[in-house]
Amino acid sequence: MVQALNSTLDHIMSGDNSVILLGEDIGKDGGVFRVTEGLQAKYGEERVIDTPLVELGIVGMSVGMSLMGVKAIPEIQFQDFIYTAFDQIINQMAKMRYRSGGGFTLPMVLRTPYGGGIKGGLYHSQSGEAYFAHTAGLVVVTPSNPYDAKGLLISSVESPDPVIFLEPKRLYRAAKIEVPDEDYRVKIGEAARPVEGDDLTIITYGAMVPTVLNTVKNNNLNADVLDLRTLLPMDVNAIISSAKKTGRVVIVHEAPRTLGMGAEISALISERAIEYLYAPILRVTGPDIPFPYRLEDYYMPNEARIMKAVKRVMEFR
Amino acid sequence: MVNEQNEKDVFVRAYTAMVLSRTFDKKIVMAQRQGRIGFYTPSIGQEATQVGLSMALDHDDVIFQYYRDVALMIHRGVPIEVILDQIMGNAEDESKGRQMPSHYTAKKYNFMSVQSPVATNLPLAVGAAYALRYQKKNTVVVATFGDGSTSTPDFHAAMNLAAVFNLPVIFLCENNGWAISLPTEKQTKVEISEKAAAYGMKGVKVDGNNFIETYRATMEAVERARSGKGPTLIDAISFRMGAHSTSDDPSKYRSQTVEEGSEKDPITVAEEQLKSLGYLNDSLIAKIKEESTKMVNDKFDIQEKIPAPEPSTMFDDVYAEKNWIIKEEEDDIL
Ligand SMILES: Cc1ncc(C[n+]2csc(CCOP(=O)(O)OP(=O)(O)O)c2C)c(N)n1
Ligand SMILES: [Mg+2]
Repeated sequence: MVQALNSTLDHIMSGDNSVILLGEDIGKDGGVFRVTEGLQAKYGEERVIDTPLVELGIVGMSVGMSLMGVKAIPEIQFQDFIYTAFDQIINQMAKMRYRSGGGFTLPMVLRTPYGGGIKGGLYHSQSGEAYFAHTAGLVVVTPSNPYDAKGLLISSVESPDPVIFLEPKRLYRAAKIEVPDEDYRVKIGEAARPVEGDDLTIITYGAMVPTVLNTVKNNNLNADVLDLRTLLPMDVNAIISSAKKTGRVVIVHEAPRTLGMGAEISALISERAIEYLYAPILRVTGPDIPFPYRLEDYYMPNEARIMKAVKRVMEFR
Repeated sequence: MVNEQNEKDVFVRAYTAMVLSRTFDKKIVMAQRQGRIGFYTPSIGQEATQVGLSMALDHDDVIFQYYRDVALMIHRGVPIEVILDQIMGNAEDESKGRQMPSHYTAKKYNFMSVQSPVATNLPLAVGAAYALRYQKKNTVVVATFGDGSTSTPDFHAAMNLAAVFNLPVIFLCENNGWAISLPTEKQTKVEISEKAAAYGMKGVKVDGNNFIETYRATMEAVERARSGKGPTLIDAISFRMGAHSTSDDPSKYRSQTVEEGSEKDPITVAEEQLKSLGYLNDSLIAKIKEESTKMVNDKFDIQEKIPAPEPSTMFDDVYAEKNWIIKEEEDDIL
């Protein structure tokens, strides 16, 4: 995914000189995950800015740039370090269009790696998507493969609204798939259905997608798998039509359960399709504890835990 | 405090801690390459700064340290085993294997608990200093951090609050010239010590490669703090001789290096100083180095045998008592 993100950023910058990247260690160093490798050498220090260490400043400056018609693509080195910038995100980035009566808009894309599975412990593993998805005015997306990473990034840069672009860092170096050279878009608000089936629906996104797909394959499940891709606004049609078709739903995410995306998905289904359900909607999630270092494997949802939930919904009477 | 009677002992002890820290760091970096350790942020190049600081402090003084302070911990008496347990995240680690390596907690030694988000320890130090003064304790609070950390809102908030409330805090900036790939001159337009003036506190710049100078500057700051004269910002200049961390490749962004054993290596500086004072000679130096190597190797092998914490421990300490949510999740997962 790193390669796809890097070449897409390159492609976007070469086609649109109003795009500026800024963040910590993104220039000379090429980013701690190498997503911006080579871009400063190619586009110069004015367009690929190595900023001082101040997330609040990075996001605030990006909002200011975007107000003036520059498309800022800030990087926050780890999502775990975004919180000093939270005020800028929640109170400026998310509310600019609304509070200016539609007069000021922010075509900016805030990229940040999130999630665990890299032995990062408390502060290099967090999945904070729900904080952002709880904020009106933001668009929140997260790709689960290189193809979607490219298509979603192009759509995000073209979006008239500010986007939080969450990159599942565990997948940065995962299975390489061919990404077409030409431009294409993955529509914001549209889920993918990587596997179709009739017995049950498994709804997931981000780093959990490969885990779910492997589980489906290894256990020969006849499952309808939804990869949400956009977390705000979610693809309600895909969710509801699949729930109606199968009547059994399992939701899988790495973030903690309480008030996670699973809660919203479950509520949408309860409101709109409860009469179609044969079993309770189950969530398989990270526990409601900080993310541990040495014991991280126990934190991450895995095949065994997913199968436990699948069996429960399948056998429910 | 150093005086004429004890100077030799104190200085040799300081040197020994620097050597032990260096030996330790090199061992851990190597062990990381061998896959025996997950990650590490070495202090190589910053030993004199950290030891000079530690020499000026009492046991009761409180330290809000950051992730690159092993020499400071060693000099203050934290056993190597305790440091290894954290790095290995084993069952004996004080934080129960929950934190990434280099994120120590050592309550007994008045070391607080290290976080990753830089500079967020600074406002805590200010609050601690307020509380200790309120409790009529004559204690000093120290916060350590890097040059990069001076750009954060937390740094600004802490400096301002400490000055406004005239608190017994020492802000010790371990200025190693780099914040990952960003050199200090791109981090800030002024000398870090000059920032203090804007807040109305004392700021001093010191040669952080020289443990005696760092000790003296810190001692003055300690005296200011204990006598109610308020906070100090110390800018201790050194050089990050190693990579930022074991995940970092400095050749991507800098050509400048300081070789081990060169005249810019703080340990070489200390050797020259102590030799000219007549406190050390080559054979003593060799002996100290040999003993350090043996000690680090032996202890590493012993601590490495300690198993991981029990899985159930990861559900402890989120609250004083587990709520129903965590109990339910623990049952489900284990
Ligand atoms: C708030 C925050 N943003 C980003 C990071 C990622 N990061 C870890 S260390 C570091 C550089 C810190 O440099 P400095 O303060 O000079 O300390 P040094 O590592 O050089 O000792 C960065 C950017 C972080 N830990 N915290
Ligand atoms: Mg530094």
